[in-house]
Amino acid sequence: MISREYEFHAPKTLNEALSLLEKSGGNAKLIAGGMSLVPMMTLGLAHPDAVISLNKVPGLDGVKEDGGVLAIGAMTRHHVLKTNPLIAQHAPLLAEAAKYVGDVQVRHRGTLGGVLVHADPAADYLPVCLALGAQIKLQSAKGVRTVEARDFFKDIMTTSIEDGEILVEVRVPKLPAGSGSSYQRLHRVEGNYAIVNAAAVVEPGKKKGRVALGGVGPTPVMIDVSAHIASGVSDDALRRVSDAAFAAAENAYGDLNGDAKYKQAMARVYAQRVVRAAAAQAQ
Amino acid sequence: MKKTIQITVNGKSYSRDADTRQVLADFLRDELRLTGTHIGCGTGSCGACTVVLDGRTVKSCCILAADVDGQEITTIEGISTGAQQLHPIQEAFVEFQGLQCGYCTPGMVLSAMQLLKENPNPSEDEIRHGISGNLCRCTGYHFIVKSIQEAAKRLQASK
Repeated sequence: MISREYEFHAPKTLNEALSLLEKSGGNAKLIAGGMSLVPMMTLGLAHPDAVISLNKVPGLDGVKEDGGVLAIGAMTRHHVLKTNPLIAQHAPLLAEAAKYVGDVQVRHRGTLGGVLVHADPAADYLPVCLALGAQIKLQSAKGVRTVEARDFFKDIMTTSIEDGEILVEVRVPKLPAGSGSSYQRLHRVEGNYAIVNAAAVVEPGKKKGRVALGGVGPTPVMIDVSAHIASGVSDDALRRVSDAAFAAAENAYGDLNGDAKYKQAMARVYAQRVVRAAAAQAQ
Repeated sequence: MKKTIQITVNGKSYSRDADTRQVLADFLRDELRLTGTHIGCGTGSCGACTVVLDGRTVKSCCILAADVDGQEITTIEGISTGAQQLHPIQEAFVEFQGLQCGYCTPGMVLSAMQLLKENPNPSEDEIRHGISGNLCRCTGYHFIVKSIQEAAKRLQASK
């Protein structure tokens, strides 16, 4: 039982949800899967005046093709991302990341949108969305705006979403055929958040690529590795990728999993691993 | 604040006023007196509160009761095949000592059921992944895995 009283709403349309959010005046929380929010409320770490559920709002889940883009509803649950054929074909990094989120039960309930707005610095989808060049679609009563994933994350558990806005969709450009991609993470216990995670995309021709890292600072960071791999993915090129990852992880901080230096060192290791794996896959 | 919810639990329909602060596990235990659903950590780590929501296992301590209005739930009380009868997975747990203190067992059995529904003939590794959302503080995992292997065999044979 959650100790503090709050209002609960389960709107049946997006407009109803938006107007409830508008009326609530700031201290309302949207609930998607609730895999982080409910424990935080149980522990007294979050105490909203109102909770507005998106679980009964139709049309916020599912994966659709929209030209060269996959339009993924914010309420799409992890187990769907893990098994959806469109995701497997056009954005396999997302399916790979979904495998690691929580455990079986969490993947049945938790959502993509929920993870992104919660913005835990080591969440699996954060570096993946950066590396894929995803766009985050936000809707408010005033209209719709789209934010690049790389501009969405502002600080630990802080995003550029404004009061009155709902994350409704994640737009992921389809990877061109012949691309390679890899997602890998360092963790000690299955189901835990990663300590450091990394996602790489290498474009067809292996001349251009990027790697995004999570867990090495308050927000995920991205490095363009094109200059390093342009003349071949050699050991020397991978060493330069590692050096760039080490530098990009300068804001790493220590916690129970390891100190800042350790995480910076792991940024080096994982950046190299994912670029090597993505390059091996690319044609 | 109260909210009237209508849910189907183990095939029976209920219409009840739920306190909106109640998580589903509290509602099942305190309102419906279905105390087979256990609460261990209360924060989504241990899996003792696992129930089946619209055909998929979830952790009922991390879902608000008010948020499952109109949905269908199966708890450990709802899986037996008849009065005084155990489900074949439960039978295997009994025979192969898949439980010691029994606290994690309802969640373990439901996770095993989900796994065997999707993958009727899992490897040991797949079983371990299938129950990775359930903790056993007695650390009796070895026998739990054995029980699930045996249950898989029996369910396959009965088809």
